[in-house]
Amino acid sequence: MSAKPSPIYADNAATSFPKPREVIDTVSSVLGSMSLSPGRSAHQYSLECSRVIFNTREALADFFNCPDSSRIAFTCNVTEALNVGIFGLLGKKLHPGDHVITTALEHNSVMRPLRYLEKTAGINISILPVSGDGEVMVSELPRLMRHNTRLIVANHVSNVTGAVADIEAIGRNKGDAVFMVDAAQSAGVFPIDVVSMNIDMLAFTGHKSLLGPTGSGGFYLRQGLSLRPLKMGGTGSNSETEIQPDFMPDCYEAGTPNTLGIAGLGAGVGFVNRTGIAAIREHEQRLCRLFLEGVGQMKEIRVFGPTADRERAAVISLRVKGKSESEVAQRLDRDFRIMVRAGLHCAPGAHRAMGTFAEGTVRFSLGFFNTEADVTASLTALEIISKN
Amino acid sequence: MWSPIQQTPTCVVILFSIHFVLKAEKLLKRNGISHDVIPVPREISSDCGMAVEFSCLEKERVLELLASADLRIAGLYSRNGKNSFQPISPEHLAVNALN
Repeated sequence: MSAKPSPIYADNAATSFPKPREVIDTVSSVLGSMSLSPGRSAHQYSLECSRVIFNTREALADFFNCPDSSRIAFTCNVTEALNVGIFGLLGKKLHPGDHVITTALEHNSVMRPLRYLEKTAGINISILPVSGDGEVMVSELPRLMRHNTRLIVANHVSNVTGAVADIEAIGRNKGDAVFMVDAAQSAGVFPIDVVSMNIDMLAFTGHKSLLGPTGSGGFYLRQGLSLRPLKMGGTGSNSETEIQPDFMPDCYEAGTPNTLGIAGLGAGVGFVNRTGIAAIREHEQRLCRLFLEGVGQMKEIRVFGPTADRERAAVISLRVKGKSESEVAQRLDRDFRIMVRAGLHCAPGAHRAMGTFAEGTVRFSLGFFNTEADVTASLTALEIISKN
Repeated sequence: MWSPIQQTPTCVVILFSIHFVLKAEKLLKRNGISHDVIPVPREISSDCGMAVEFSCLEKERVLELLASADLRIAGLYSRNGKNSFQPISPEHLAVNALN
């Protein structure tokens, strides 16, 4: 090969790249213009920081249709949000012997806390199965429900197959259980309405399709639900008492927050709003269809996940006949400058369900800034790799 | 911004944290009510947070607005002098009683 091709980033399900210009500018201007320590002191810099955090919180509340922005708390990522939710319910809504339902497509950020509670707190776990093309079989939910089902945790969009779970149907059938949604892959691409979807807790991250920096994320918690905080400390409120505040958002936000990340996340949400979530989804789905049509022509390649005619995210898991996943990913990176991810994607259960455990798959995940040319180049590279 | 040069008596509302102070600020701004975000006066509380000060002439409207947004208030005071504050007793707080 003569001229070096320009790099193609197709690992947006891990972290989106590039970021919108306004996200970069916002982070830079906030870093350069204020102290980054909100709610701690009464001076102008601190107040400005508090406004930055407040504005992002209000923007996220609007974005997810949360009735009250104080019910949104920031964390450093969706993993922390899910941990706060799952561990925080213990001793509140969830007690030893209680039953939890989750799906076969969960990420380790859900499964590891649940498995830990299974072992240490005696909770019982049932798993909603997936169909042949990797979609959660929500129709099985009523059969799995028990009198003591206290929690249902569901992944909205699979980071392995791109399948979209029918969150609304789960919300309709959740009974008295707390319904927790992992929106890591969906927030910013698929509409989420915590009211109409009957979601009790929504965990999201800032660094994927909300187009913010890493280290930003959070959760929405329905009014009336409370969790045991995972961390306690300074909140800038109720300072005269040594007891952690019991009101949101302060009770879950001890310690100086990631003001920079939250500022960037606010700018990311602004970009998504202005561009339009439907336009973003349409663009990504068009690229996804092109990609799936292309690999569909290659008999050495097998795709795991919903077909192109299904509602799905632009997360494409595949295998190349006769090649290991790591070899394919390495050749894509070294020879074609195409960045993808190979392996289990932190979701071993999803691979067991798809029959791709323990080798995993090669995952292309396309984002709003990918182009048709990126897809064409990826298909050409896969064609070459699969032939020799 | 409300200016302390104005001679009308002012009220200071204490909220539970900075989030609610900024929520109140947003509401008052949107409704064109002059106000100032100030550090919680030491004479009121040792809390290191912020409070909202506005003309007492706007008291009923402010309380109504806060109530309409479900903003619980932690205390309401009238300012009697530079460093002197008088609590407005809870029974005068129509909807937002302390809890």
